[in-house]
Amino acid sequence: MASTLSSLFVAAVLAGTPLLLGALGEILTEKSGNMNLGVEGMMFMGAITGLAGSYYYEQAVTKSGGAPSGILSAVIALLVSFLAGAFGALIYSFLTISLRANQNVTGLTLTIFGTGFGNFFGEYIGLKAGGYVAVSGTTKAAFSSLRIPVLSDIPVLGKLLFQYNWLVYFAIIIAILMTWFFNKSRTGLNLRAVGEDPATADAAGINIARYKYTATIVGGGICGIGGMYMSMVTTSGVWVHGCVTGYGWLAVALVIFATWSPAKGVFVALVFGGLTIMRMYVNIPGLPAQIYDMFPYVATIIVLIVTSMRQSKEHAQPKSCGRNYFREER
Amino acid sequence: MKKKILSALLCATMVIGMVAGCGAKPASETGSSDSKDTKTEASAGIAAEDIKIGFVHVSDASDMGYTYNHDLGTKEMQEELGISDDQIINKFNVPEGAECDTALRELVDAGCNIIFATSFGFEDYVKEVAAEYPDIQFCHATGFQAASSGLSNMHNYFASIYEARYLAGIAAGLKTESNKLGYVAAFPFAEVISGYSAFYLGAKSVNPDVTMDIMYTNSWNDPTVESQVAKALIERGCDVISQHSDSTAPATTAEEYGAYQVGYNNDMIEAAPKASLISARIDWGIYVTDAVRNVIEGKEIPVDWCKGLADGAVYLSPLNEDIAAEGTQEAIDKAAEAIKAGELQVFAGPLKGVNPDGEKIEVAEGDYFKEQVDASAPAWNYIIEGCNVVE
Repeated sequence: MASTLSSLFVAAVLAGTPLLLGALGEILTEKSGNMNLGVEGMMFMGAITGLAGSYYYEQAVTKSGGAPSGILSAVIALLVSFLAGAFGALIYSFLTISLRANQNVTGLTLTIFGTGFGNFFGEYIGLKAGGYVAVSGTTKAAFSSLRIPVLSDIPVLGKLLFQYNWLVYFAIIIAILMTWFFNKSRTGLNLRAVGEDPATADAAGINIARYKYTATIVGGGICGIGGMYMSMVTTSGVWVHGCVTGYGWLAVALVIFATWSPAKGVFVALVFGGLTIMRMYVNIPGLPAQIYDMFPYVATIIVLIVTSMRQSKEHAQPKSCGRNYFREER
Repeated sequence: MKKKILSALLCATMVIGMVAGCGAKPASETGSSDSKDTKTEASAGIAAEDIKIGFVHVSDASDMGYTYNHDLGTKEMQEELGISDDQIINKFNVPEGAECDTALRELVDAGCNIIFATSFGFEDYVKEVAAEYPDIQFCHATGFQAASSGLSNMHNYFASIYEARYLAGIAAGLKTESNKLGYVAAFPFAEVISGYSAFYLGAKSVNPDVTMDIMYTNSWNDPTVESQVAKALIERGCDVISQHSDSTAPATTAEEYGAYQVGYNNDMIEAAPKASLISARIDWGIYVTDAVRNVIEGKEIPVDWCKGLADGAVYLSPLNEDIAAEGTQEAIDKAAEAIKAGELQVFAGPLKGVNPDGEKIEVAEGDYFKEQVDASAPAWNYIIEGCNVVE
């Protein structure tokens, strides 16, 4: 029983991490008053570019006769996927902030674009590589579970806390940094002001466009890293058609579930991750798999109802979210 | 005034369009009566350079599994019959829903003479469209309705993959140390159940103590769930994982967590060199070539087509000698010879099983279950003792 629970916990963390990264990116975006529904698209873009970055780096090094370094390959995947997600968000920002296009429509378009982008280049690189794109063992090892001396060997706790791949810790660090940023730093408070009431923030001398652009682009980059997690960890560095499908939307749901708080995001991502894989670990006799698969969505609906009933100002969507800011229309 | 002229013009265009639309109908009727005349002529066939061939696939070759493998069959046929690339129309990533109907009709409109639909869930749509276009041949893989549909232009095909799975099971049975195998299964359908039962029987033939846990993904191709299910199986103590799902995710997951894997559809050693032992494969090229050749020569395509190990329609990818247990190749070769000679039956008695609806079956000693003999689709959907479905 205890071992089943600890296995469930570990699997929940692994399943929850890409959701957490996607949700953190979207929280940062929404705090600036931009509702970017293109999370799935940006995750797809991060997924394929991260994989391609590592793959081409390996190819280049092997060709010149060297041996690729796992750490460098992982860093390249991280940077490239961040840039790809940021690029997707840049398109979105330009359309919504500068051209003031409808945010929902632009976000949905970005999802469609990103999905096509990921699958097209995934197939293209695969075909060029002889039908198949897979990273080498070195890169795979860089994305597999860490073995931290001493810590990983602690019974029970070692397995529960210190045997994940580095992206899990990376995601938690980002969540902690973001919590600090939103509550303790002046820039973070300014950003929240922009998201709540851009006109007031504008009057206070905050550069609205700059804040919105930066938050949306960095948020998109974090979503991109979440996508890279899918292609590098979940499918172990092999490009599989549609590997992100559905996860981006779960991440958007998670933002609501986390009530726009990055710290809560860590816990609800764990719950969400747990709910998505629960049926493989906890068997309730007579309960069909389809019901299990509904759990994350049912949970989101319940949380939506509860939060709307509480009407807390603290834990609600930033007020200007979804609306573009026209200075001339104040 | 301008607006009036414009609207008058628009009306005129619409009327012309309608007239043209109506006009097209009798044209197509005459077209079909023409082809009725050619039906007797159809025995004369079509020139190889004029034939058009359509495919509807549930994913694309990047799955490195099912569709990739079927696509190899297409290439084999092209080479054999000298068909050029522009005579082939592939519809990739078609979901098992109304999109399949659209894809089939697009292929019909593109002038295909023969259309292959390769996923189980396409069958109802194939049946519907085939009934409307009697001059076009429709071939559906893994289905079971062609014979009962009464349509002369609808055909089912499959291969006796259970024979190859039995042999692949031998590799797993010899390799396992925990005596617990894991199976990532798509759906609780006969095609899947027949496959894992054969795999389990193969493993049991060399390792009587072995048991197997089976977990469903409820999808033919969902790499994320496949990988999560594989991990859950490994956590349950399974040290060799096999699969009836389209992607390489179970192989890469097995490698990551130090387990071994037996693949399906494709040699997965490249994806997971430290985990993938061997794969059971289907050579679709034999059927695709036969069917297309029959259309060219104006011959009938069999309603149900199923061949196995003896004809090379199913085979095993090379064994990963670096990690396989000693004597695996010999054991597989021996069993393969026996199957080819008809001395070894996979579903041989004494064998007991229960199907998902609770119906029981008992195969007596000396008798065997005739799998894929009368119909091309697998029929064994009984869960045998030692197989534990985790739900």
